[in-house]
Amino acid sequence: MEIFESDVAIVGAGGSGLRAAIAVAESDPSLRVALISKVYPMRSHTVAAEGGAAGVTRDDDSLDYHFHDTVAGGDWLCDQNVVEYFVAHCAENLTQLEHWGCPWSRKADGHVNVRAFGGMKVERTWFAADRSGFHMLHTLFQTSLQYPSITRFDEYFCTDLVVDDGRCHGVVAIEVATGRFTFIRAKSVILCTGGAGRVYRENTNGGIVTGDGMAMAYRQGAPLRDMEFMQFHPTCMPGTGLLFTEACRGEGGFLLNRDGYRFLQDYGLGPALDEPRNKFMELGPRDRLSQAIWHEERKGRTITTPYGEAVHLDLRHLGRQKLQDRLPLICELAEEYMGIDPARECIPVRPGIHYTMGGIYANLETETPLEGLYAAGECASNGIHGANRLGSNSLVDIIVFGKLAGERAAEYARHAPHASQAAQMMQADDAERRALAVADGGGKERHSVLRREMSRTMERGCGIYRSADEMQATCDKLAELRERYRNLDVEDKSRVWNSDWLGALELGYLLEVAEAIAHSALNRRESRGAHQRLDGFEQRDDDNYLKHTLAYVNGMGPPRIAYQDVVITRSPPGKRAYGAAGESADVERQAQANHA
Amino acid sequence: MSARIEPGRTDPRRPWRRSMRGWWHRNPYYLRYLAMEATSILIALYALILLLGLWRLTEGEAAWAAWLAMLKSPVSLALHAILLPVFAFHSYSWFRIMPKTLPAIEWRGKRLKQTTITALGIAAAVAVNLALLLLLAGVQP
Amino acid sequence: MPDTARSIELEILRYLPESGHEPWYQVYEVPFEDDWSVLQGLQFIKDDLDSTLSFRWSCRMAICGSCGLMIDGVPRLGCRTFLRNYYPRRVRITALQHFPIERDLVIVADDFIDKLKRAKPWLIPKQARALADGEYLQSPAELAHYRQFSTCINCLLCYAACPQYGLDAEFAGPGILALLHRYNADSRDGGREQRMDLGHSDAGFWGCTAVAYCSEVCPKEVDPANAINQNKMGSAIDYLLRFVRPRGSGE
Repeated sequence: MEIFESDVAIVGAGGSGLRAAIAVAESDPSLRVALISKVYPMRSHTVAAEGGAAGVTRDDDSLDYHFHDTVAGGDWLCDQNVVEYFVAHCAENLTQLEHWGCPWSRKADGHVNVRAFGGMKVERTWFAADRSGFHMLHTLFQTSLQYPSITRFDEYFCTDLVVDDGRCHGVVAIEVATGRFTFIRAKSVILCTGGAGRVYRENTNGGIVTGDGMAMAYRQGAPLRDMEFMQFHPTCMPGTGLLFTEACRGEGGFLLNRDGYRFLQDYGLGPALDEPRNKFMELGPRDRLSQAIWHEERKGRTITTPYGEAVHLDLRHLGRQKLQDRLPLICELAEEYMGIDPARECIPVRPGIHYTMGGIYANLETETPLEGLYAAGECASNGIHGANRLGSNSLVDIIVFGKLAGERAAEYARHAPHASQAAQMMQADDAERRALAVADGGGKERHSVLRREMSRTMERGCGIYRSADEMQATCDKLAELRERYRNLDVEDKSRVWNSDWLGALELGYLLEVAEAIAHSALNRRESRGAHQRLDGFEQRDDDNYLKHTLAYVNGMGPPRIAYQDVVITRSPPGKRAYGAAGESADVERQAQANHA
Repeated sequence: MSARIEPGRTDPRRPWRRSMRGWWHRNPYYLRYLAMEATSILIALYALILLLGLWRLTEGEAAWAAWLAMLKSPVSLALHAILLPVFAFHSYSWFRIMPKTLPAIEWRGKRLKQTTITALGIAAAVAVNLALLLLLAGVQP
Repeated sequence: MPDTARSIELEILRYLPESGHEPWYQVYEVPFEDDWSVLQGLQFIKDDLDSTLSFRWSCRMAICGSCGLMIDGVPRLGCRTFLRNYYPRRVRITALQHFPIERDLVIVADDFIDKLKRAKPWLIPKQARALADGEYLQSPAELAHYRQFSTCINCLLCYAACPQYGLDAEFAGPGILALLHRYNADSRDGGREQRMDLGHSDAGFWGCTAVAYCSEVCPKEVDPANAINQNKMGSAIDYLLRFVRPRGSGE
């Protein structure tokens, strides 16, 4: 097997991976960086993010507000020490991106503009038209081209981490174009592989978002944390699940039921005002909005489409000019894919899976429990998003922690003790054998069939509202699918660009992550944030569940579930309120703080 | 193909390169482009004819009259009947590509559309040609 | 599986390098819904008819740039081209023109990736600025000056459209040159001089003969033909001035 020697290996070249690579290169140009991605970097799913990235800039804003919005938005499942670090470093990292050329939208005076976003008290979302993720990704990719110490491995598909003696020594990857295996040795490894939304049927995610890094770390004994918290984005295209950005609502869009009524006011987000107001109505947090839509469906007040029940996203009153200026991508999506002119008609939308709050447990320094292994971005769970992520916190998360991970991994690589190659080589050869065995199982099952069954059961059992019997049915189904997975037949036996085989490998990752999600959900007997139950556990239970769920791999069996305390520093769990109720809660909280 | 994937160590790639032969008739857009370029050749040839006339002018009245008579011959008139629409097409396609050579132009705070620039160019060309025709009509008996 | 009576035939150029065969056309009959894209048609083939068909895709919403294809001889994104617009005719799908075929609908994109760096497509600031001093100021008008050229998704449709790219192995191509211009036109940037090694050469602006089909096919209205051709005047002037003014003496 080919061996490539590096100092820091980074798996994933999206926002967090590219930022980490640049951070290593800047911290020490003599360190060899291997930046590995199963797609060309500009295809990474960061590219699809639309709305923006949060960072406190306005005079009437404060780190404390951002902190509180994030912690409350996460329904107090956030590790507050990490959130403190996070909010303090957002603006500087966004400014660094601007210095690298990111075309942030501007105010008339030339300063970066900020806009309102769901669950945020004050406008603090930096944006680049409605293609913020696209511009951030391309800025990072183009900037990364300057550093000769970064060697890219474009279209290399990672199959395993090489772990010896509790320490990660690199990754084994398939060169997609040739089917050959390479062992990329490294003193430290950073996983930046993104989320796992493709376990569900209707999702905003690209085809590549299959939880690769999560599964690879999980298989080596690292826990997946808080996996039950999967975010439904309220406004997705029925059928494809393509995203209509939250910015639609930030710019003043309404959500209407079949009677043309702004139904969110019935769910504690009112009163309904004409102008968008932060944390009111359509600018409430995503989990609340998705749940409201679910309830409207139960009440029979939704619009029926060939792809399921929907509500109407009404952008008509924004006017054509504003739509073209601020939401051009949305207009394109509605017109090209649905034949709808948003200036004249409402757009049917329904919730779809969008973001994975959970992931590989990583501490404040982005370290995972495996020595030499770091994780950043959506694949990591470092505690800033908690039980529900606020929009525009993710795009900034990836650069804040991508940078930190790069710096930490670089430091580790500089002082890393030497490790013998022999044991690692055996592992690498083993990894190759295992990956080939998936294709040559000689069985009867087809991975496209298993994938379909997996996504259907996840939708049914781990949807917006959950109950024990449905979750158990999903857990059982997933166990069955994992068993059937061992009996795969991959028809394509070629070496050059064998996407049939890679699809089968991705399904392996998806199934293990799905199991972690389903079992974590089943075991959390409370409702919090994006995990809501209807079977007697409808309330939040801080006494028993102010904890993170940890899922540990357990061979072919269901994951072993354990718990870990949430770090609370200065925000004790409070009432999670929005709309008018939110304002009075804020006043109360302020009064209490003043008293103390 | 074997019954198993055999990764091996050799490079199995054999990229297939497609020929560019006949590229110009694969797409109507290319045909239009080549027609446009072809008209440029004819423009260049006509410039030679005009240069010839200029030279004849320096050679005196008889030479000039002979050149004019050549222009009025039936063959020449037939040629001109073909050249006129060709030149018109050339002008049109020239103005169509012109906005591509210019940076964005603003008029009253809004960017001028490329089709507008083209239309203005064609209008100007037509106006100049008309003016010249009228001028010449006034001069000739 | 869509429960619809409508089917369309997709005639796809297959190529398996290890098979020893030349590329060949294979026809698949695909049942489809009214709103299905060509990409969804390909996914149906891969999931339900023939799992050996390989093609790149990811976002499904015309922003990642993965799914560039020749559809009936025209460079288009598979995710933004709809089967209903071709029905009931058969649709011919091949890999993007002007690139070698790796396999099936997957091209070898190495040439683009290798040439990209030559444009120095990163910001070379006119003036250094400390992070603590905040952002560079840039007015909405200054942003508008280059923003259009920054929306390129690297889908390579313009390369498939450009006959010069197909004929001339040295040419950097529309996308890379548009990106070069994007940085030159950014008010914060001072690197124009450094980029002109490529720009002023035959591999740069002068390799373009203004066919402008690239701008026709661009799904993001970047208008690379404009990015390139508005530089020719300046490039010519720069060339002439070189005899008068030594290189490196500033803008």
